[in-house]
Amino acid sequence: MKLFVTGAATTKFGELWNASPRGLARHAVFEALKDAETPPSSVEALFVGNMLSGMLGGQEHLGAFFAEELGLSIPAFKVEGACASGGLALHNAVNSLLSGQYKTVAVLGIEKMTDHKPEDVATALMGAGSEEERSAGATFPGLYAILARVHMRKFGTTEEDLAAVAVKNHLHASLNPNAQFHNTLTVEQVMKSSRIADPLKLLDCSPISDGAAAVILSTRKTQRGVEISASAVATDTLGLAQRKDITQLAATRNASRKAYAIAGVTEADIDVAEVHDCFTIAEVLAMEDLGFFAKGKAAAAIAQGKTTVGNGKHVVVNPSGGLKGCGHPVGATGVKQIVELVDQLRGIAGKRQVSGARVGLAHNVGGSGATAVVHILKK
Amino acid sequence: MQSPVKIWRNQKNIAALVGKTGAIISWTIVRVPPGDFTDQAPYPVVLIEMEDGKHVTCQMVDYDVSDLSVGQRVITIVRRVTHPDADGVIPYGIKAKPLV
Repeated sequence: MKLFVTGAATTKFGELWNASPRGLARHAVFEALKDAETPPSSVEALFVGNMLSGMLGGQEHLGAFFAEELGLSIPAFKVEGACASGGLALHNAVNSLLSGQYKTVAVLGIEKMTDHKPEDVATALMGAGSEEERSAGATFPGLYAILARVHMRKFGTTEEDLAAVAVKNHLHASLNPNAQFHNTLTVEQVMKSSRIADPLKLLDCSPISDGAAAVILSTRKTQRGVEISASAVATDTLGLAQRKDITQLAATRNASRKAYAIAGVTEADIDVAEVHDCFTIAEVLAMEDLGFFAKGKAAAAIAQGKTTVGNGKHVVVNPSGGLKGCGHPVGATGVKQIVELVDQLRGIAGKRQVSGARVGLAHNVGGSGATAVVHILKK
Repeated sequence: MQSPVKIWRNQKNIAALVGKTGAIISWTIVRVPPGDFTDQAPYPVVLIEMEDGKHVTCQMVDYDVSDLSVGQRVITIVRRVTHPDADGVIPYGIKAKPLV
């Protein structure tokens, strides 16, 4: 059975103090429905990707909450997998279509983070880690800093190499009207930004953001529909200490190999990728674990501009600006990645268009790599 | 939210980890901490390989900056993790200090 994204939309990402979760959800879903040229009444089920509404907002029961807001009394589910909640919601939506239960469903990814103090957000995000890591007072910047130091030591990756990831993703974000940041950066600015968790600095880190993204999935092909060729998930231990090898995220490797096999493609066929750069080191790891570069070779390649828009024939990575430049409302990110790929494969991504893009990959990670979700889309 | 029951249940896990030696695999300094740790920041968090091959993530205390290096030998000790909440039970856990 073939499945298609028939409509896709995001809100603007950023510090949206005037916007409520209800308003963000309505905007994203109704714009996606308009894009799909289908009425709300055609949607048979709603899948919501979200991580923090309970811990930060005190609101659970998000399936019914957002179905009410959309004026639909349909089956509705919240799917949670830390920062991979959006990708996991999409995976569950795909499975519901493959099962034959529904023919048209909506996927909403959403997070409202800036209503709360940064230390409260940091505490809530640590729900994605292990009990041991919480007792250590670790944070996600801290855990990725531990991964970064191992990578730097083993492969000679430098802090300047990491900074180049943020520079590229801000350049891409400056071309994306919906991105949180439109300012470009220099390596020097990243290097001089305040230290958050050594060796990671403020501008190595994705921001705290608000935003929503939605896609409409259907078993029926439409004129502008983009095919979902693969949806794959893998998991690993919650804590870093329980892993054999922390020079890689094994879940990314495993989910991507599964996805390539299902879609019948290899990494060389991917024209455009949206990957999970919650921290600059995370994009370096993703490039290697997805198979785009040999272990230890990605950082220099990114710094040389090989994955920047307009690079010629190599895969372009994070044209939306990624989590770093576009923003990272955690539950929304996995769905926003799909919206960006749909725009790219339709050829309507404007100044950040990857020319001739036919195959796209989305890579969404939960925690420090305990969940990885990979989707492959084809024109 | 701290639960006295959970703290009590975890005590045997803490006891099993005390007094073990190992070496630092990787480390960071947390400068922007979670809410319960604001009075302790900045503090190092280290990933340690214990002599039995197990890995542990914990905070490092009683250190000099020169102790923050890969291969530095450490020993695990019991320390207060954060503040007691309204129930008054003090949450203890494992931290590491340099082995001299």
